[in-house]
Amino acid sequence: MKEIMKLGLILFAITAFSAMLLGFAHEITKEPIENQVRLAREKAMNETLSQADRFEEVMVELPKGSKISEINAGYKGDLLEGFVVKVSPKGFGGPIEIMVGVSKDGIVQGIKMLKHSETPGLGANAEDDSFTSQYKDTSGELTVTKTIPNKDNEIQALTGATITSRAITDGVNEVLIFLQHHGGTDEEITFDFN
Amino acid sequence: MKKLVERITNGIIVENPTFVQVIGMCPTLAVTTGAKNGIGMGLATTAVLVGSNLFISLLRKFIPSKIRIPAYVVIIASLVTLVEFILQAFVRSLYSQLGLFIPLIVVNCIILARAEAYASKNKLLPSIADGLGMGLGFTLALAILGSVREILGAGKIFDFPIMPSSYQPAVIMILAPGAFFTLGILMATLNHFRNKKVKDA
Repeated sequence: MKEIMKLGLILFAITAFSAMLLGFAHEITKEPIENQVRLAREKAMNETLSQADRFEEVMVELPKGSKISEINAGYKGDLLEGFVVKVSPKGFGGPIEIMVGVSKDGIVQGIKMLKHSETPGLGANAEDDSFTSQYKDTSGELTVTKTIPNKDNEIQALTGATITSRAITDGVNEVLIFLQHHGGTDEEITFDFN
Repeated sequence: MKKLVERITNGIIVENPTFVQVIGMCPTLAVTTGAKNGIGMGLATTAVLVGSNLFISLLRKFIPSKIRIPAYVVIIASLVTLVEFILQAFVRSLYSQLGLFIPLIVVNCIILARAEAYASKNKLLPSIADGLGMGLGFTLALAILGSVREILGAGKIFDFPIMPSSYQPAVIMILAPGAFFTLGILMATLNHFRNKKVKDA
């Protein structure tokens, strides 16, 4: 009995000390971590909608089953330039988180992959500029092709990663359709679901 | 001083955790898709290993042998969480690359093995040197594996293209089978030289 108490107390001392240390570390690193997350987000938004210099999240209730998780309006000064929308279509290895920047007249300005679990060497190549730059200046409904694209709204699939290419294109399409139907393309942002 | 140097070379060469002891295979196979990832994972593990050897050696007389394993696991898990916080706060790019594998350092058997086999029986400084040596040995192994796989599988090293553009990357090398191929061939080569040395002597 006495031994159990002693062992328990020693283990308790070790865990209590560890918990205290981690508590301190958490307090200290909390702010830098939040800053980093914010910076990464802002950087992604600036890259996808470079003409805007200020972003504001648009609070809106999203339809059920939508892959869109976040909508930001981008302004230059007070003028609305477009939207940066976060969408997570299902890829080959799970959801792919993408930021899509769309100008207010419905033209894709740029996309950026934030998080994914695609196969390295195949689907993961979708992060490369050579793939994502294909989306720039497209509009309407995009389609994926395995040959060299000859229309503006065609995206050439990555070799060996058609599923990933399709998933990203679906995500971009969903954003474009959503903004077309619900987004304000005017100075006034109105999200009307009816 | 001699002993400390001996511990470090022991970890890097004589008892290299990956090529000689063949422990800690999960991160070895999983993160070595590129040289940068290998080194990042290796250094993160080294930091945890040095820290855990330090604390376990300090507490070796305080921790009763009956509860040593839970005590070690608590210490190691705390250190890993600490490393995770630091990477997340200050080296974001590495954190997002290693992501899932950082919590896995907790169950990397190199760390528990060194705690059990060395730090719990030895003085502070040799234990730190042992952790450093083993960690660097692990880093070196991961860096070699990562470089070989990155060169063959992507035609790059540290993200810089080095192969002529006519080179068609062998994608399989950065997928899971490539990890086994590379590890197997490297281990066979090293053992070949070791056996030869023994024979010659």
